[in-house]
Amino acid sequence: MNRTPMPTTRRRLLAGAAVTAAAIAAPAIVRAQSGPLKVGVLLPRSGFEAGIGQDCQRGVAIAPAILKSIGLPELAIMDGDTESSVETARARAAKMVSDGAQCLVGAFDSGQTLAIAQVAEQNGVPLIVNIAAAPQLTEQGYKFVFRNFPTAGMILSDAFTDQKEVFAAVGQSPKTVVFMHVNDTFGTAMAKGINLLMPKFDMPYKILDEIAYDPAARDLSVEVTKAKASNPDALLVVSRLNDAMLITRELVKQRWTPQAIMSMGPGWYEDEYFKTLGKLADGPLSFAPWFDPNKKLAQQLEAALAKAYPGVNLNTNHVYTFEALLVAADAYKRAGTTDPKALAEAIRSTNITDNASIGGGIAFDAKGQNTKVKDGAMQNRNGKPVVVAPKEASNAQPEWPLKPYQSRT
Amino acid sequence: MSAALARLAGDLSPRTRIWLAALVAALVIAPWIVGDYLVTVLILILYLAYTGQAWNIMMGFTGQLSLGHAIYAGLGAYVAAVLFTRYGVAPWVGLLAAMPVAAACGAIIGFLAFRFGVTGVYFAILTIAFAEFARIGFDHLGIVNAAAGLFLPVAQYAHNDPWRLRGSPTMFYYVMLAATLAAFILCRLLITSRIGYFWLAIREDEEAARAAGIDTFRYKMYAVTISAAVTSFAGVFYAFFYNNLFPEQVFNISRSIQMILGPIIGGVGTLFGPILGAFVLTGLAESLSTALTAMGLDLPGAEQVFYGVCLLVVVVALPEGIWPWLARRLGVKEAES
Repeated sequence: MNRTPMPTTRRRLLAGAAVTAAAIAAPAIVRAQSGPLKVGVLLPRSGFEAGIGQDCQRGVAIAPAILKSIGLPELAIMDGDTESSVETARARAAKMVSDGAQCLVGAFDSGQTLAIAQVAEQNGVPLIVNIAAAPQLTEQGYKFVFRNFPTAGMILSDAFTDQKEVFAAVGQSPKTVVFMHVNDTFGTAMAKGINLLMPKFDMPYKILDEIAYDPAARDLSVEVTKAKASNPDALLVVSRLNDAMLITRELVKQRWTPQAIMSMGPGWYEDEYFKTLGKLADGPLSFAPWFDPNKKLAQQLEAALAKAYPGVNLNTNHVYTFEALLVAADAYKRAGTTDPKALAEAIRSTNITDNASIGGGIAFDAKGQNTKVKDGAMQNRNGKPVVVAPKEASNAQPEWPLKPYQSRT
Repeated sequence: MSAALARLAGDLSPRTRIWLAALVAALVIAPWIVGDYLVTVLILILYLAYTGQAWNIMMGFTGQLSLGHAIYAGLGAYVAAVLFTRYGVAPWVGLLAAMPVAAACGAIIGFLAFRFGVTGVYFAILTIAFAEFARIGFDHLGIVNAAAGLFLPVAQYAHNDPWRLRGSPTMFYYVMLAATLAAFILCRLLITSRIGYFWLAIREDEEAARAAGIDTFRYKMYAVTISAAVTSFAGVFYAFFYNNLFPEQVFNISRSIQMILGPIIGGVGTLFGPILGAFVLTGLAESLSTALTAMGLDLPGAEQVFYGVCLLVVVVALPEGIWPWLARRLGVKEAES
């Protein structure tokens, strides 16, 4: 059979272009409809933050069954990847809104979250921030932005409070520390905040030396030697995963076990740290936003995660991403409508006490910030972190001092 | 004036003029047809087209490979943002400070390189080094809030305020469209002027150009300072559109690479290349994302893979870029493109 090719005339081309334009320009937003609430979840699932974004996504994956089990309505999740880029975050948020998202959740990184927040505000669609600590996010006068995560200031203040609680519980405290921190955006900002806030908390220790190092460092022997030379009682660290492991290996190699390692950032409680270092991973204290292991919902999350992802310990990324969806589902149930404005009002009046993270629950102030959320102090014990402070959220007593690395078998 | 107009449009064929007019008309009416999402994507395309055009002055016209152009955009962004947040200076006035700062930075890099014979890949490394210096330096610079990031206040605006660059995506779209057209016109005027011919001579054979009496140092300095100043506007726009600046992101080498992808895909040294390249890369990547969503596939990172494949295909199949090939098929003369 012979086929006669259709000639591509200019008229045909124009007609095709018009149809395509009409298709892509067609308004996709159908608001206040019935059915499940459409929630656009934006996370950095590729690019330089891919690991964390994918970890947060695990919290999304286990959410539907748990939300259903506690009697909350179904959510229609729309997954989005910000590619760890501010530009893509904004474009994807706009796309999700045009595709009918009635609520947005995201986005781990403060810069990307702010870009999404502008889209949310312009379109009157609520944004529930899962993780992002820059205070400016809830200081802009936004009406549709809600954050269930502590600000950088809250994180540091809670960390100092929890440290004091740990010192009181063990009846000891370090008199001197060396402060080692990674020299990237996060580490530098934290170092600045620590130096600013520490005097206000009248901490029992003084910082003998501050040692900054490159995030891409492959060897920290010089830095650890320098810290050891100051002979501090404890190490105060702000690090990432790779450097946390490098520091630990150097401590072992240089046969130095300080009284305590107090981390005010990630790295030391992460799964990979435990898997790589085994017994050597036990002992360090981490002060960070965390979950309350005594809360029923946290236990449900742990069980669901263990079933879906064997070998993965529940952490901040899972918990706060899940809780963002919890806030959305709870508000949708109370609002009884998918209308974004009604939903925003319902989120504003949120009062969830049976949540999973540490603190008094979830309730937002006039700025959209959850002021009840608290940090925790975790200590590595037998291959997983246990909570040792605050007392109301703890499931173990703190151990002090660190067991010498040389005596671990 | 009339000479400039003649240079701008004088040798364009009627067919090319129609194509150009149609393209501009389509871009002008686009926000009335498409929604906020596509306007945001178009802003990104125009932003990349603009920065690609600015980079093209260095590499495409003069043959100087810069892999650290993020420094000029970053300086522009920070200068205008600091003036705005601290002193309430409008971005257009801030631009008057941002451009000289970026141009001066370009002049320093250019002087060091061109005076001491740093060329080719070594010049590229020097530009990367400066961008890295800026990133590390700004990470510790208190006046810009260092690594904690500089946030511009985002108030709610009931109306667009173009003077202070506060308003809807549509307003930002028209600002970027005007800037892209201005950059296109500037580049066309430059490349058809005496300075442009000298640049092309330097690009083709610097030794021969010098032998012919061209002061290659001076004209390369012109190229780097003009390119830096033009790029700085992109930074100002970025700061006011996204409202947050982190040294780690603004000066990152990936941002410099992002700027050069458009011209490389579209055609280095051509006027339409950066524009076409930006449309192809971003347009197709967004289409791919839409298609994957429609098919119910969740493949994070697919766009980046697509970028890589595009680069590979263009480098292998169309080493000159897409525009020279397309121009031949459309019958557009080389001089017009």
